[in-house]
Amino acid sequence: MRFGKKGQGHPDTIETDLAIQVRDANYVYPTGKVVALSGVNLDVHPGELLGIVGQNGSGKTTLTKLMNRLLKPTSGTVYVNGLLTTPRTVQEMSQHIGYVFQNPNHQLFARTVRDELEFGPKNIGVDQDEINRRVEDAIEFFDLGSVIEEHPYRVSFPIRKLVGIASVVTMRPSIIILDEPSTGQDHQTTRIINSLMRRLSDQGTTVICVSHDMPLLADVVGRVVVMRNTEIIADASPREVFADRELMLTTNLQAPQITEIALRTVHPLGGPVALTAEELATDVAGRISKRGN
Amino acid sequence: MSMPSAMPTSFISGNSVVHRIHPVTKIVWIFVYVILAFTTQNIFVLYGMAVLAISLAIVAGVFRPLLKAAYLIIPVGSSLISLQVLAPAVEKPWTPIAEIGFVTLYGDGLYYALVLLGRIVSSMLLALVMVMTTHPSDLFLAFSKLKIPYTFNFMLAMTLQLIPVFQREVGIVLSAQKSRGMKGSGFSAVLPSFVPVFVGAIERVQQLSISLESRGFGSSGDKTSYRRVVARIQDWFYGISGALIMIGLMVYSILQPRLWNLSEVIVFEPQTVLVTFSVAVTIFASVIVGAMFLSFRKT
Repeated sequence: MRFGKKGQGHPDTIETDLAIQVRDANYVYPTGKVVALSGVNLDVHPGELLGIVGQNGSGKTTLTKLMNRLLKPTSGTVYVNGLLTTPRTVQEMSQHIGYVFQNPNHQLFARTVRDELEFGPKNIGVDQDEINRRVEDAIEFFDLGSVIEEHPYRVSFPIRKLVGIASVVTMRPSIIILDEPSTGQDHQTTRIINSLMRRLSDQGTTVICVSHDMPLLADVVGRVVVMRNTEIIADASPREVFADRELMLTTNLQAPQITEIALRTVHPLGGPVALTAEELATDVAGRISKRGN
Repeated sequence: MSMPSAMPTSFISGNSVVHRIHPVTKIVWIFVYVILAFTTQNIFVLYGMAVLAISLAIVAGVFRPLLKAAYLIIPVGSSLISLQVLAPAVEKPWTPIAEIGFVTLYGDGLYYALVLLGRIVSSMLLALVMVMTTHPSDLFLAFSKLKIPYTFNFMLAMTLQLIPVFQREVGIVLSAQKSRGMKGSGFSAVLPSFVPVFVGAIERVQQLSISLESRGFGSSGDKTSYRRVVARIQDWFYGISGALIMIGLMVYSILQPRLWNLSEVIVFEPQTVLVTFSVAVTIFASVIVGAMFLSFRKT
């Protein structure tokens, strides 16, 4: 344990198995009038796939911006890979935590998609051979081969979104935050984002997804954190969260339609709280088959 | 959650005397300031105008945001003094006061540097105070009452309203690029920050124009507003007195041209010029070196 100069009495580094540790974090905007986060505690484990949900203004984005040091907590601590975020810069934290913004237009500027993918790794000092490998990998995974020499603004919006995500993935941070990754995306892009999240998690990357897209979260994440009025009010598996009707009601959230149907039909008969169409279909098929026998 | 902090060049709500002044009166005062600033070479008048603008900012409660927005004065001022002392923007002969190696410093330059700086500072400060204390809709309404053409009026109001939007956009873009390891400032930050903001601005303008067309922009008839702007007696008084002060000073300048340009009256001591030049060069060099350091330092 080492104490930093600007850590305000908190250790600069800690020995921890956690990817992210947030303790009693509060955030008040500089005007002093708007409280954006109140007493938040959160532990995120390496390789975990975490979803953060809540109404607009509940504090989701503020919480994730504390993690990559775009914002500093007014009080409390945020440790990322054991490093206290407060005395570090966003650039320093970018080697540990990648942040994909909701609107890709906010980050794309290079002349070609390739340059865009190389920008992040170059900034953090990755050598050119490794950058080339990462870019080739991203081209293959995101299927960007046909647009790699195009200007990022000449490709369609869903592809641009993928370029935005790929440009952070090529930095290979151990934690990635995706802010509303599926907003305004077609089915195919959402599917790619879905498999990307799974793949990153399989590779040991911690993935945090802030989203209003409940079906996406139900399908992919292993844990859902629910925020309301600047606080975390629930932290459980998607099945538990989406089955809690009172929670959904009080937070003005809507469980995935499949879950709603399951809760109204098969669940009262002893069936599961289905999160995906496949789960529900399997249960219904089983019941039909039993009845047939 | 959007960040509600006050943008340094956008409207800051309040109920001060300055806030309540009629928008047209404020425009009159800006004109008075600009005309005076660019005709006089009397540094007392110029810096007196700047002090008045700062006083108005204090009265309006916008002094701190004004300071934030006015930080550009530091590199501009230091570069003006440095360059003018080396090569005054006046007709020769110049008065050499010192030689440092092959560089000659001229005493005439300091006065003109202060004049140029005073023009920028006074006009800029007053314009910023007026923008910070005037709701764009009020300005729009006031102009429409003055029968200013609707399209022109709209363009002006829209420009003022878009400033804070673009400032917020710059903040988001910088955050996005910093998250990808980019240095937050310096020359290397210009392209990654400028392109997304510029493209975003064009897209926003295109969407706005389509939206305006679809809502009948430019159709005939007077436009209504839920906001009311009333010209009170005080507003007429402030406006007319501003115009009279300007006319009075202009007449005075014709009658007393020597007082309108004090360059022959105020002659700085060589030591004063040398010290001021040294300070200005140090500040200017620090700004340049600082920018270069931020550009090239490793993240």
